[in-house]
Amino acid sequence: MDTPHEPHFIRPCTRIWLVLMALTCSTFAIGETGWSGTAVMLTVLGTAVIKVEMVANYFMGLRRTRWLWRGIVLGWLILVSGLITIAYLMTVK
Amino acid sequence: MINNTRTSHEIHATPPGDLAIWFFIFAELLAFGVFFVAYAFARAHNVELFNESQQHLNRLSGAINTLVLITSSYFMVRAVAAIKQGYSILCARWIASAIGLGFVFLAIKMAEFHEKFSAGISLSTNTFYMFYLSLTLFHFMHVILGMVILAAIMLKARNGSYSPANHTGVETGASYWHMVDLLWIILFPLVYVIR
Amino acid sequence: MQFQSQAVAKPYFIAAIGLFVGQILFGLIMGYQYVVGDFLFPAIPFNVARMVHTNLLIVWLLFGFMGAAYYMIPEETETELFSPKLALLMFWIFLVAGALTIVGYLMVPYATLASMTGNDILPTMGREFLEQPLITKVGIVIVALAFLFNISMTVLKGRKTSISLVMLLGLWGLAVFFLFSFYNPSNLVLDKYFWWWTVHLWVEGVWELILGAMLAFVLIKVTGVDREVIEKWLYIIIAMTLITGIIGTGHHYFWIGTPEYWQWFGSVFSALEPIPFFMMTVFAFNMVNRRRREHPNKAATLWALGTGVMAFLGAGVWGFLHTLAPVNFFTHGTQVTAAHGHMAFYGAYVMVNLAMISYAMPMLRGRTANSGPAQTMEMWSFWLMTVSIVFITLFLTAAGILQVWLQRMGSTPLGFMAAQDQIMIFYWLREITGFVFLLGLVLYIWSFFCKKGEAQTAA
Ligand code: HEM
Ligand code: HEM
Ligand SMILES: [Fe+2]
Repeated sequence: MDTPHEPHFIRPCTRIWLVLMALTCSTFAIGETGWSGTAVMLTVLGTAVIKVEMVANYFMGLRRTRWLWRGIVLGWLILVSGLITIAYLMTVK
Repeated sequence: MINNTRTSHEIHATPPGDLAIWFFIFAELLAFGVFFVAYAFARAHNVELFNESQQHLNRLSGAINTLVLITSSYFMVRAVAAIKQGYSILCARWIASAIGLGFVFLAIKMAEFHEKFSAGISLSTNTFYMFYLSLTLFHFMHVILGMVILAAIMLKARNGSYSPANHTGVETGASYWHMVDLLWIILFPLVYVIR
Repeated sequence: MQFQSQAVAKPYFIAAIGLFVGQILFGLIMGYQYVVGDFLFPAIPFNVARMVHTNLLIVWLLFGFMGAAYYMIPEETETELFSPKLALLMFWIFLVAGALTIVGYLMVPYATLASMTGNDILPTMGREFLEQPLITKVGIVIVALAFLFNISMTVLKGRKTSISLVMLLGLWGLAVFFLFSFYNPSNLVLDKYFWWWTVHLWVEGVWELILGAMLAFVLIKVTGVDREVIEKWLYIIIAMTLITGIIGTGHHYFWIGTPEYWQWFGSVFSALEPIPFFMMTVFAFNMVNRRRREHPNKAATLWALGTGVMAFLGAGVWGFLHTLAPVNFFTHGTQVTAAHGHMAFYGAYVMVNLAMISYAMPMLRGRTANSGPAQTMEMWSFWLMTVSIVFITLFLTAAGILQVWLQRMGSTPLGFMAAQDQIMIFYWLREITGFVFLLGLVLYIWSFFCKKGEAQTAA
């Protein structure tokens, strides 16, 4: 008798879930310290970018699709986070 | 009926779920993206005001809500996995837990809104609060919409309408729900943390 | 024609085209008054001509929508209309009420008309597009309710397709938002605020549902593409329309005394409004490319494709042009607005009605399509009208940009009339192009009477 095997994507997704939780805690911790400045801003935004890619590629399953679909989300992400970064750097100088 | 084909290395032509939902997701990403960028540039013109007002936000509840949504999103991954193995009832249970966490999110968010509204804060208080309230309210409505979609899918799953061969519906709902999570993952650091 | 009761659509379509001619004649009168100020003075003042031009536009589009509904719904629901008699009765009531209103505009001064028709009891008149006397407005509501009752009953007893549901939703929305025309608070800000609930939520909300449904219907008929594919597109387009269009109302709330956050809401959401229009274009071309049959009515296909493109250009591109608050700060209420208004109305609602009439009218006259020469003539009319609207839009845009430049920018801005004198050339060009448009319209009508060639009879 065949038994259904656990779909291959569960384990990676569980690991991703734990990483996402940890990264959220780190972002929160940075917020609590009240630090500011370009490096902090880039760290926090960079964390968010990584998290979004994790959700898109693993949870949404885009890593198992054609590059077109990953590219759309990645392009959107680079555009939005890039513009946000520009807007922040405008104010430091 | 047991689906025993391994699909791990297969590259699919289209993303999981109905392709239509993906066009919708991209349009939603665009809408939020424009809003995020508008926030950043509005802040650039008024850094002090934004930094000052941001301190009065409840960062803890924002962070907890992030954890809640991420976990809820993960539950939907499990729901998809369950239906791929043919476990309809298990799938419905995972979806129900995802919806349950959706309610937790809404409750925490409403407590936060209540706090702000009773402090007399409104859309017209200042530009920061205008963005804070409208971004989070707009996202709030998407959470509700996502929960409605999930509820419909849960009922169908419970009736046994999905199977390992036919579970596009579950993937469609899951994709939308992941998007709601994904947006909050940017919204939280942008509005609550970055200064 | 598959169902007997579809025949009631015919008088609606004929009336629509008749009123369309009237609209264009008054447009030409006004266009001439722009360059020769005392033309037809004092018989037809500019403000009266303008009112007639815009009201005829709205009324004929409504005739077109109703005719389209009477034609589509029986075929979609696969059942005869609930009551063809009621439909015909409402046609005559609507036509007579409309004609009397226009006669009223032309015969008596507007203020007299207002006091004659009970405007003192419930003041609703004097606002652009909603100038109709109270009794006419009430008449419109009665006709709309009877029409909706008739259509809804038909849908209830028949097959429920997404096209008929979207159409129904759009038509109900049309009626509901018209109710705001009865609400006229004396506070000027609130007056404007709710006025847009009718005007904007019509053209950038519920009418778009009607547009989507009509376009989908014609495309299914001429391409034979699977309903399922078309329905999916329809739903996404509708969802995007509502998400962007409802809060997009804010692009009219920048400078009327509403809270400042509207500048953000209006700019962001309306900037996304072109998306559904763009999807409609892609949708139309996609369906035609995937067509599974060669429908003999080539002209209708051309109109359907044209609707997608021109609606995107007029509403999407020309709308986007001035929808961001910092731009609108300069262009608000200039010829740029008029340029956009012309191309958007023509590209979206005029063209979809012409597409529907082009498809349905031959059917109503017992043939699948008009003869080859007749269709050639109709395609000429397509290009004449479309190209002249494009040029009218370009001339008005040029006029508008110059107007902004002369009157609202620079260190020594000119007064309104002084600036107008400087851009007179564009008004001349607009007027000349207007006659080409009229020629196109005449050809359109003529093509239905063209006797040359063999009409394709129903198989
Ligand atoms: C088929 C759809 C549309 C039609 C029929 C239409 C028609 C019109 C008309 C007639 C006006 C002038 C209203 C008045 O003040 O009397 C207007 C104004 C305006 N429209 Fe549209 N429109 C459409 C879609 C859009 C879209 C999609 C956008 C934005 C992307 C847009 C942006 C605007 C703006 C910003 C104004 C105000 C102009 C001003 O401040 O003077 N429109 N529209
Ligand atoms: C299908 C064709 C047409 C449509 C849908 C249409 C629609 C409209 C609309 C919506 C307005 C109000 C615009 C606003 O307030 O911004 C308007 C005004 C006007 N239209 Fe048309 N029109 C059409 C054809 C024409 C033609 C052929 C002419 C003349 C050559 C013309 C001349 C005018 C003039 C002079 C105004 C007044 C603008 C003002 O108040 O400054 N229209 N039309
Ligand atoms: Fe508008």
